[in-house]
Amino acid sequence: MDYLIFSFSLMLIYIGLAQLLHIQFGLAGIPNFGVVGFWGLGLYGTGVLYVNYDVPLVPAIAIAALIAAGAAYVLARLILQKSGQAILAATLAFATIVALLVISEKQLTGGVIGLGTIGYPFGDFSERNVVYGGILIAVVAALIWVSARLRDSRLGRVLIAIRDNEELAASLGKDTAATKRMIFVVTCGLMGVLGGLSAPLHQFLVPYHLAPSLTFAVWIALVLGGKGHNFGAIIGVFLTFGLFDILIETYAPVPTEQAILLPNFKLFCYGLLLVGIIMFRPAGLLGEDGPHTRSGRDTPRPAPEPAPKES
Amino acid sequence: MLEARNLQSGYGEMAVLKDLSFTVEDEIFAVLGSNGAGKTTLLKTLARLLPMQSGDLSLRGEDITSEPAHHMPAHGVAYVPQEANVFPDLSVMENLSIGGRTGHRPKAEKLEEVFALFPRLKERLGQAAGSLSGGEGQMLAVGRALMQDPSILLLDEPSAGLSPIFVEALFSSIADTRRERGVTIVLAEQNAVKTLEIADRVMVLSLGEMHLLRDTASLSMEEITEAYHI
Repeated sequence: MDYLIFSFSLMLIYIGLAQLLHIQFGLAGIPNFGVVGFWGLGLYGTGVLYVNYDVPLVPAIAIAALIAAGAAYVLARLILQKSGQAILAATLAFATIVALLVISEKQLTGGVIGLGTIGYPFGDFSERNVVYGGILIAVVAALIWVSARLRDSRLGRVLIAIRDNEELAASLGKDTAATKRMIFVVTCGLMGVLGGLSAPLHQFLVPYHLAPSLTFAVWIALVLGGKGHNFGAIIGVFLTFGLFDILIETYAPVPTEQAILLPNFKLFCYGLLLVGIIMFRPAGLLGEDGPHTRSGRDTPRPAPEPAPKES
Repeated sequence: MLEARNLQSGYGEMAVLKDLSFTVEDEIFAVLGSNGAGKTTLLKTLARLLPMQSGDLSLRGEDITSEPAHHMPAHGVAYVPQEANVFPDLSVMENLSIGGRTGHRPKAEKLEEVFALFPRLKERLGQAAGSLSGGEGQMLAVGRALMQDPSILLLDEPSAGLSPIFVEALFSSIADTRRERGVTIVLAEQNAVKTLEIADRVMVLSLGEMHLLRDTASLSMEEITEAYHI
């Protein structure tokens, strides 16, 4: 039971990260391939403050998140006005630097040996997982709510405008560079919060936690579900992490001698799903989240007469 | 009103516009020229989307040479690009609203004016802008620019790719906008015949250089054709 709660808690973290990536990429068009770097700064920042400096968990998470947001600000200043490929490469490099720093700064992080132990903030041993799971549910639910509301907000429309045509958005008076920077810093800071919240789940932190596989898993989930739809990100995590890491790896009656192949089988299936989605449904299972009319700002969609075609 | 002095602009090191000096007054100021003449580069430079390589630009006597693009709506300048001029994933209403934050008049009042000019937009408010036809998209782009309550409207080849019926309606709307709202219009076009019907003055560009700048009243089609081919 404890392992199931742990797995669901991790899945909640993935859902939270996918929501933030949906805001960054799905709405604002910022291809952040350094998710694990910002999450890792939160994870290790919390761990270092908690273990080495006896900072209580909640302030440690807050400080670590600020560090992640600060790193995002510096990175945003340097790269956000560059091309998508440049942002992709730079964020990937950033995550690699974070992982290498964790290995090289042994006095702070314990290097390859690891860092621990990080305790749970509430409850005794028997109930701590449940209480902490409840906190995670509340945090991730808040992220989902914000992410869902964002599409219909003024900021959300500006983000979509910037994603679709940054030059046109600028000509309409939008400070596109500042808006992108703000959204990148806030969402990366929140990735740091999720990293900090992950520290008690892992309890003992090792550099392996900062492998790029986390970034790729969140990206695959987002692309699978639909990058332009915040519920797509949730479905994507259920279909990847939920299906493979929880259901198959934990509960499928796989003989021991074949169980060792499961991680590779999982990656194979991830790849297969990704290729299938890109080939047959490029906008993801839920597709693009189009213009909304429910807010009352728009009149109900009319039944338009066939539009004349221009030559 | 809008004055360019020795304006040189382009992409990277390459200069597309060479030493242009002109003044736009309260009028429809047309910029004609064939493909590659520098019309789009000129309008992007006036909208401050392209940095100037040299020269000065001023608006009502105020230097705007170093002004960033997102400050231009506050100066009363609205820009409608030739292509990719709507946000395809936003609805028609959202497209109009996103341009309506500037100016002092209520949004509802500006919307009614836009609908009076382009009634078809009112029928398609909830529709994604990306699903509009080319002509409707162009109307939406112009409508969104008018939502900014501009004093200067920069229009980059609004008739490109449109059927003759849409071109007729669009040029009529442009003339109405000038006549009824007093908006100064800088109109880059290839359609010289239609442009001459509504413009007050014409500048002909060829390979980034000015070859003619005259009142349309004293201008013949032959002179324009000659300037095109210099």
